Amino acid sequence: MEKKEYDAVILGGGLAGLMAANIVAAAGFSVAVVSKVFPTRSHSAAAEGGIAAYMMGNSDPNDDPDFMSYDEVKGGDYLVDQDAAELLSKKSGEIVSLLDAWGAPFNRQPDGRIALRYFGGQTYPRTRFIADKTGMALLHTLFEHSTGFKNIEYYNEYYVLDIVKEGNNVNGLVAMEMKTLNPIYLKSRALLIASGGIGMMYKHTTNSYINTGDGQGIALRSGVALKDPEFVQFHPTGLYPSDILISEAARAEGAILKNNKGERFMAKYAPHKFDLAPRDIVSRSMTIEIREGRGFEGGYLGLDLRHLGKKYIIERLALAYDAAKNFSGVDASEEMIPVRPAQHYFMGGIDVDTTGTNHDLNGIFSAGESACVSVHGANRLGSNSLLETVVYGRETGNTMVEFLKTHKNVETNSNVEPIIDAAYAYIKRETGEHFGVLTEELRDIMWDNVGIFRDNDKLAEAVSKIKDLRVRARSMYVTDKTSNYNTELFNALETRNMLDVAYTMATAALNRKETRGAHFRDDFPERDDKNWMKHTITYLAGDEVKISYKPVTYTRWKPEVRVY
Amino acid sequence: MKVAYYPGCASHGIAKDVDIATQLIAKDLDLELMEVDDWNCCGGGFMDDKNEAVHASLNLRNLEKVEKMGYDKMATPCSVCLNSHKVAADKYENDPVLKEDVDQRLKDANMEEYDNGVESEHFIWVLIRDVGIENIRKHVKRPLTGIKIGTYYGCQLLRPSNVMGFESAFNPHSVMDLVAATGATPVAFPMKTACCGFPLMGSNPPVALKMANNILSSARNEGSEMLVHPCSLCHLQLDVTQDKIQRQFKQDWRLPALYITQLIGLSFGYTPKQLGMSKGSIEYLRSRGIS
Amino acid sequence: MEEKEITVNIKKYNDKDGAFWKSYKLKADKYTQMTEVLRRIKSEQDPSLAYRASCHMAVCGSCSMKINGIPSLACRTIALQAVDEKNEINVESMDYYPGVRDLITDIDVFYDKMYKVMPRLIADESVLMGENEQRMTPENQTEVWKFQECIYCGLCVSACPSVKEDEQFLGPAAHAKGFRFIDDVRDTKKSERLDLLMDSAYRCTSCYMCYEVCPQDVQPVIAIKKTKNYLDQYKGNTPITIMARKHDDTVENLIETTGKIKESTLFLKTFGFGEAMRDAIDMLKSGKFKYAFEKDSNVKNMNEIKNMMGEKK
Ligand SMILES: Cc1cc2nc3c(=O)[nH]c(=O)nc-3n(C[C@H](O)[C@H](O)[C@H](O)COP(=O)(O)OP(=O)(O)OC[C@H]3O[C@@H](n4cnc5c(N)ncnc54)[C@H](O)[C@@H]3O)c2cc1C
Ligand code: SF4
Ligand code: SF4
Ligand code: FES
Repeated sequence: MEKKEYDAVILGGGLAGLMAANIVAAAGFSVAVVSKVFPTRSHSAAAEGGIAAYMMGNSDPNDDPDFMSYDEVKGGDYLVDQDAAELLSKKSGEIVSLLDAWGAPFNRQPDGRIALRYFGGQTYPRTRFIADKTGMALLHTLFEHSTGFKNIEYYNEYYVLDIVKEGNNVNGLVAMEMKTLNPIYLKSRALLIASGGIGMMYKHTTNSYINTGDGQGIALRSGVALKDPEFVQFHPTGLYPSDILISEAARAEGAILKNNKGERFMAKYAPHKFDLAPRDIVSRSMTIEIREGRGFEGGYLGLDLRHLGKKYIIERLALAYDAAKNFSGVDASEEMIPVRPAQHYFMGGIDVDTTGTNHDLNGIFSAGESACVSVHGANRLGSNSLLETVVYGRETGNTMVEFLKTHKNVETNSNVEPIIDAAYAYIKRETGEHFGVLTEELRDIMWDNVGIFRDNDKLAEAVSKIKDLRVRARSMYVTDKTSNYNTELFNALETRNMLDVAYTMATAALNRKETRGAHFRDDFPERDDKNWMKHTITYLAGDEVKISYKPVTYTRWKPEVRVY
Repeated sequence: MKVAYYPGCASHGIAKDVDIATQLIAKDLDLELMEVDDWNCCGGGFMDDKNEAVHASLNLRNLEKVEKMGYDKMATPCSVCLNSHKVAADKYENDPVLKEDVDQRLKDANMEEYDNGVESEHFIWVLIRDVGIENIRKHVKRPLTGIKIGTYYGCQLLRPSNVMGFESAFNPHSVMDLVAATGATPVAFPMKTACCGFPLMGSNPPVALKMANNILSSARNEGSEMLVHPCSLCHLQLDVTQDKIQRQFKQDWRLPALYITQLIGLSFGYTPKQLGMSKGSIEYLRSRGIS
Repeated sequence: MEEKEITVNIKKYNDKDGAFWKSYKLKADKYTQMTEVLRRIKSEQDPSLAYRASCHMAVCGSCSMKINGIPSLACRTIALQAVDEKNEINVESMDYYPGVRDLITDIDVFYDKMYKVMPRLIADESVLMGENEQRMTPENQTEVWKFQECIYCGLCVSACPSVKEDEQFLGPAAHAKGFRFIDDVRDTKKSERLDLLMDSAYRCTSCYMCYEVCPQDVQPVIAIKKTKNYLDQYKGNTPITIMARKHDDTVENLIETTGKIKESTLFLKTFGFGEAMRDAIDMLKSGKFKYAFEKDSNVKNMNEIKNMMGEKK
């Protein structure tokens, strides 16, 4: 088997992975970036609305980084580590300037400075944007910047199977070239997991097909903890029926949600912020409207842009307009866009501190959506995830540089055969369960039972059903026996990861007996700071999810009731 | 019916036969071609490479002349001229920075801002939309039954389709419909919408000739005996230039290339000579009993 | 919702069996994207079907293929809008790139061309050090963004006739990318970029195929034309750019003095006497030599022309 050695290996070519790669490479270390798709096809490309930043001299005169941190803390329903949020706000301006220096073509104000607009949950407007394809433009900027480094090597369309450990130290990872199914061992002393989200385990999701929780699954299998996995965000405006995201920018620019009676129902649920209340609140309000019969036939509501005028819509909301037109056949300047909530973001993730370091293994780091630094707490605000990927991508990159300076590569080569055998086993098996059946069942369970409204019965049922699916997955097999870009095999491997992560998520959700942010329990509808102001820490050991807790870090904001 | 007519430099120069044939059949079809007053070269494919604003201004000048003549439509037999005028008008409408530059130029030339009042059209669009295929068929005196004609569209007539707007860029049918009207058998071939390479003659001739050869070979492989096309510059590239192609690719065959109105003219009863054809075409037609 | 049964014919390929067509029947409604059609075929009928897809919203550029012969993004194609009278759709992999498996092609040549144009902004040192702020007008941003919107889907290159015939041509997408940086006021490497792009720009035949197929409306051919607008600032001399210069200058000169182009003068000036003579002999043989002397009247109001052709306003 082929083997290569690098200082650092980065799992993921999205914004977080590429930012870290640029930082580590700039310090002179050799880097391998492994991605199951060509980097610009990572899910980060799908981010539309923008990136939040307080920029000195180019923000609302009344705004300051503390307001920004406060918005994050409140938006996250106080499950936010406040030091992490403060760091995020403090570095937001300089990171946007850096992206600008690297070429990101941010929309401009007439005087040539970077433009800004409002997003949900913000006290002052802070969102910087590039038309309505901010994620794509930033992802391309970082990727293109990285082409200037000779010490970054890309393994594009390589699927990472598992981490390699030697004792308590990281010793690289094993990946498979998707075109040939040839395995490769990429040895390194530092490893960053920046593998993105988990959306595909939900029946309705705005996420890319490739968001299957691989990094989180790989981490769990290596004895690394996931933090707060019960927190999943549902975006209010998934386009009906394809679940393509209609960006929050639409509401930021004046679009209004309406029920089948033509009422602006958000006035009832968020009398101050209306349609721009945080996503958990809007999604729940919409679900109530639909449940109580005020949705349209088929189960959706209307997003009304008509009063904004066609010219404005096409200029500022091209993507939303095009999406509605191309994927639902609706001309948003004449009709309301049909929308319903859909899974959107995973607040939980690999347990790391504000340096991006995980403490379960030596040499393992995580950043981006696959990590949980706890800046989003129980609910993420719009525009903050892109910000997190680049700010913490850079912080983590810097941490890795320090780590690399003080650590040597592990001398021994680890035995990686078992990892490869486990993957090939799916091909070798002639009968058994098919991945398609298992994923479809999983996607239904997660949507129905671990969704927007949860309770004990639903969650308990989910845990037992997923447990059963995991048993069935042990006899999973693929019909395609070729080694010629065998996508079926990778789908099976993804299913394995989704099941492991879903199992932890459902168990943690069943465990948390309160309502907080996006975790809404019908049977415990109140926030319970006395018992639950703490992070859930989960390990997966065989069939058992081991739960422990970590305190939330406060700096200056005391929990208050969250009204918008 | 009267229509403003923009011949373009080539068809008043070494592709004169394009103009000759077009004028002949227009008369038969009661189309009065009113040559655009004091028209200038559109600079298609050259001038926009040098200076976009100059290019747009030159084209708008022609369109303004048409407007002054009192027409809202300008027909041209050349796909490149067509594309040039249409793309210029489109840029002028959609690119505010360019518009500013162009407006200043128009003003310097004592001309007005252009209000997009004139549509440029290809002469064959006028034939199909205004004259009508049925009507054309009525004028056919000598049906070209049995001759297999490769129907070539090339690039500039079709693309960009959101600007050209007449037919699908991938499944066009205009040339085929016209060929069918003459009684000949239209032959579709894979490269019917590929570029003939003419624009590369001024910078990269070997590749330009290769492209022309690809078109001719593709048409021939599908059984065409002749090729028909809609463009004065394709005419330069595919007719006489075949001698060069033959030399470069050591080929022992030729595929006579006619401008579309030359073919229609044949079916209306004109002789190849009257239609200004080149010797190669005249000879081939004679061998098929047409003279 | 109303559903219709459709037949999807897919050209499959693998190393062992080569290429072959296979048909699938399934139901689709008026919203069903082709990526969803493929996903359902894969999960319900043929798990071995291989294709790329990620975002399903036309921003990742993964799902490039030919649908009914037209280079398209599958996610941007609605099945019921694509079917023919018999409710059938044909799906194949892109042209030009080597096939790998079913709808997946190896587009490394595409990436290689992108890397060749130094696809990254090189800002001023003082900006990188954080000492200076970069400004950019909204108009400049709009133009840069237009050419930056490329999603690396590869469709334009798969359809470009010049790329197929000329290895040295960088192709449409790379040109759009390269020009995006030339056009960006924040970049500091304009002359290096002209060196990278100018010769290749004159290898484009302006056929507008890239413009036609681009799902992002990047209009690469326009980027190429805008690059050529910089010919005067380009210092290099390659056989191609030398010829292009002669050709362009002659055209401009002809228009400036007569308002029209005479192809015969153009040929003579661009290709030189020898080549022009060979052309003249061909013309003689063809009986069309007389047209070379066809004398069209010059534009009468040459003042209008001259005033329009001045320096940039
Ligand atoms: C539709 C949509 C719109 C959004 N809009 C916004 C917005 O406007 N503002 C905002 O702040 N946030 C937004 N978000 C959220 C934000 O886009 C994501 O959270 C963020 O981009 C995640 O980036 P990342 O780098 O962590 O991961 P990703 O970009 O998802 O990258 C993950 C990488 O890991 C690789 N990978 C995964 N598994 C494997 C494996 N097994 N082997 C090899 N490689 C693997 C993938 O190939 C990929 O390169 C949006 C999200 C969605 C769904
Ligand atoms: S216009 Fe130029 S780049 Fe575009 S497809 Fe044609 S030859 Fe290729
Ligand atoms: S220019 Fe357009 S067609 Fe070409 S790769 Fe980019 S997005 Fe695709
Ligand atoms: S799946 Fe991303 S472009 Fe089609």
